[in-house]
Amino acid sequence: MRKNREIKLIFALIAVFFAGFLAVPMISVVMKSFTGNGEAASLAHYAEVLTERGFLKALGHSMVISVCSALITTVLAFILAYAIHYTNLGKRYKWLISKAAILPMLLPTITYGFAIIYSFGKQGLLTKLFGRQLFDIYGFNGLLLGYVVYTLPIAFTLVNNAMGYIDKRFMIVSRLMGDSPLQTFRMTILIPLLGTLATSFIQTFFLCFTDFGIPASVGGQYEVVASVLYEEMLGSIPNFGNGAVVALVMIIPSVVSITVLHILEKYNVRYNKISPIELKKGVKRDAVFAVLSGAVIVCTLSMFVVMFAAPFIEEWPYRMNFTLEHVQAVFEDRQLYGVYVNSVMVAVITALAGTLISYGGALVTARSTVNEKLKKVIDSIALVTNTIPGMVIGLSYLFVFTGTPLQNTFPIIIICNIVHFFSTPYLMMKNSLSKMNASWETTAMLMGDNWLKTIVRVVTPNALSTLLEVFSYYFVNAMVTVSAVVFIAGARTMVITTKIQELQYFNEFNEIFVLSLLILFTNLIARAVFRRLAKASKNRQNTAKVYQFSAKKAA
Amino acid sequence: MLELKNVKKSYDGTPVLTGISLNIEDGEIVSILGPSGCGKTTLLNLILGIVDSDGGRIIYNGEDITDVPMEKRGFNIVFQDYALFPNLNVYQNITYGLRNNPEISSKEEVEDLIHLLGLEEHLNKRIGQLSGGQKQRAALARTMVMKPKILLLDEPLSALDGVIKESIKDRIKTIAREYNLTTIIVTHDPEEALTLSNRVMIINEGKIAQFGRPEEIIRRPENGFVKKFILNQLEIKKNNIYTLFAGQPAEQVQVC
Repeated sequence: MRKNREIKLIFALIAVFFAGFLAVPMISVVMKSFTGNGEAASLAHYAEVLTERGFLKALGHSMVISVCSALITTVLAFILAYAIHYTNLGKRYKWLISKAAILPMLLPTITYGFAIIYSFGKQGLLTKLFGRQLFDIYGFNGLLLGYVVYTLPIAFTLVNNAMGYIDKRFMIVSRLMGDSPLQTFRMTILIPLLGTLATSFIQTFFLCFTDFGIPASVGGQYEVVASVLYEEMLGSIPNFGNGAVVALVMIIPSVVSITVLHILEKYNVRYNKISPIELKKGVKRDAVFAVLSGAVIVCTLSMFVVMFAAPFIEEWPYRMNFTLEHVQAVFEDRQLYGVYVNSVMVAVITALAGTLISYGGALVTARSTVNEKLKKVIDSIALVTNTIPGMVIGLSYLFVFTGTPLQNTFPIIIICNIVHFFSTPYLMMKNSLSKMNASWETTAMLMGDNWLKTIVRVVTPNALSTLLEVFSYYFVNAMVTVSAVVFIAGARTMVITTKIQELQYFNEFNEIFVLSLLILFTNLIARAVFRRLAKASKNRQNTAKVYQFSAKKAA
Repeated sequence: MLELKNVKKSYDGTPVLTGISLNIEDGEIVSILGPSGCGKTTLLNLILGIVDSDGGRIIYNGEDITDVPMEKRGFNIVFQDYALFPNLNVYQNITYGLRNNPEISSKEEVEDLIHLLGLEEHLNKRIGQLSGGQKQRAALARTMVMKPKILLLDEPLSALDGVIKESIKDRIKTIAREYNLTTIIVTHDPEEALTLSNRVMIINEGKIAQFGRPEEIIRRPENGFVKKFILNQLEIKKNNIYTLFAGQPAEQVQVC
């Protein structure tokens, strides 16, 4: 068929891209785990790493802390979502909860660490307010707090969406059948949500297990796998073999969790229809959830208060006068300002190229009749990129591209981001494209369009709102990622997050917070703009539909 | 006897029902008929107790139940999309209420209902495996097990096709007769309302346009709305059917 020629070309391009930037690097990690810095192949590195007491301890630490964080985060996310969907609290309050809960997503994880230090540390804001340090922040407590704040937005988004898709009329049925309130809760909220809650647990576990930013700032003596990997690679004596082994160990939990997620997907309850109902009056219930959700939000936001305050104070905590000195200093420092420009540039190009690639991939799988095997290949690529932690991808690029012209360039950082975040945008695109009418291409072709014209004139305009969402997803994530780029950013190609990591050694906290604020505001603006645009394009589609309908009626 | 006295309801200042008063006798099948947005679903929800009225009283057998919560009223409903629990099979759905009140229906009564609704062979199926008519029957059985004082049905036939529609109609009539059950049905289809119920209440713009037996409505429509929207529609249907069967001898049609 003629139509498939273009699709096959797209497929070939994508396949070559991921072969070069995903398959080859990952294979090299496996090779390096046997050969290290160029010795004969052996299991020596495995033996060394796995018998080392430090590593096993770090692995245990990672497991324990990730399980604790995932549990707490999921419970908190459930409370927030419940307050939104099942109480009669005011609309504005609900709006506030939903916005505040996802705010941390717009910041690099490494910033949370410093926010914790400045809030709960010996000289921290909250320590000053309470008159004493509430707990020791370096180690388990700090990590736990950081992980919970980091993963709450993701868990909240998952649970919140799923709750929106529960048919609330089942609550009426359950009550009419004589269920007690507890039974109604179990039957109409908990059971339908079980799959989602498990997904949230696993997803947050995975994120905590593989994050590097938080341990880098508040890990202290509590070693986790990510910090071990960093030390093996960039410590005083880099050991490539051991690093590769650690990286492979890091992949195991992600592979397990993604597999479990796939199995869980089948158990998600789907309702045909969502009917809004008037919720039963429950003043006590509303009050309890107002307080609980308020407490969660206040705790989350209080940590960020310091970030807004610290850079505007002369010398925390000794000279507490307002000043713009630090902010000015950052803008005057050509190097720091340059780092910001680098970050935005990397994020924009990542978003552009990433959107294009995920669109191409989704066109192959959702809107073509090519062989199922080819479609499977792209689906598998998405699955694999989802399982591999950013740090491991970065590490593999370090192995493969050191010594090539790509070393220490922006393209390598951009490619790393595209590969690392490929999965979600691809699935968003695929989902949206497969919902569109299947006969559009045929219809357009019968009217004389060729394939490219159909894509440009029909499919793309209808996919525009999703394309914008994908763009915004790539942009925000490229702005905040630390783990993926920590191994591959060079002196000339510094981005903000790696700069923050470097500034940490010089205790330049003001610069750290100013840069973090820059990221936050850039992301806020970007998100707002893209949301506006996506909404506008969606509205245009809807009005077009209404118009068509009324035209039909008139005829 | 169910009695509504001057019941009102508005949403965000927009009146949906403006002073509804009516009486429904025990064992009667009553249809609430009207175009979408006329307030018929709100009326159903008021009787069931999902929403509170803004004014007026609801009285059942002499007792004022206006402020009695939904689960204490003893009425029950089958929703348009049935709301069967997708994680339970048919039998578990039907006997769901018995877990909470085991004494409400005996084993024999449940078996009678299952038999009456022809659900024997589907008991172990999951909800997703059922057809629309089977789901409707299962939902009806689940509600009947609770022995409601009044049975409410929200658009019970609109999701079903042709023959199934007629057979469900028959089952609803049978159940109302066998159990002497007051049944209130919401529908937007005049044919359905007039062939299924003892009395039909036509609602338009939040008011009762006419409330009477089907033959009264056909013979003596009380206003322009009933004439134009209800009778006119039936007239067109009748003529279409007559044209189709023109010249053919009348034949007795049996519904199974």
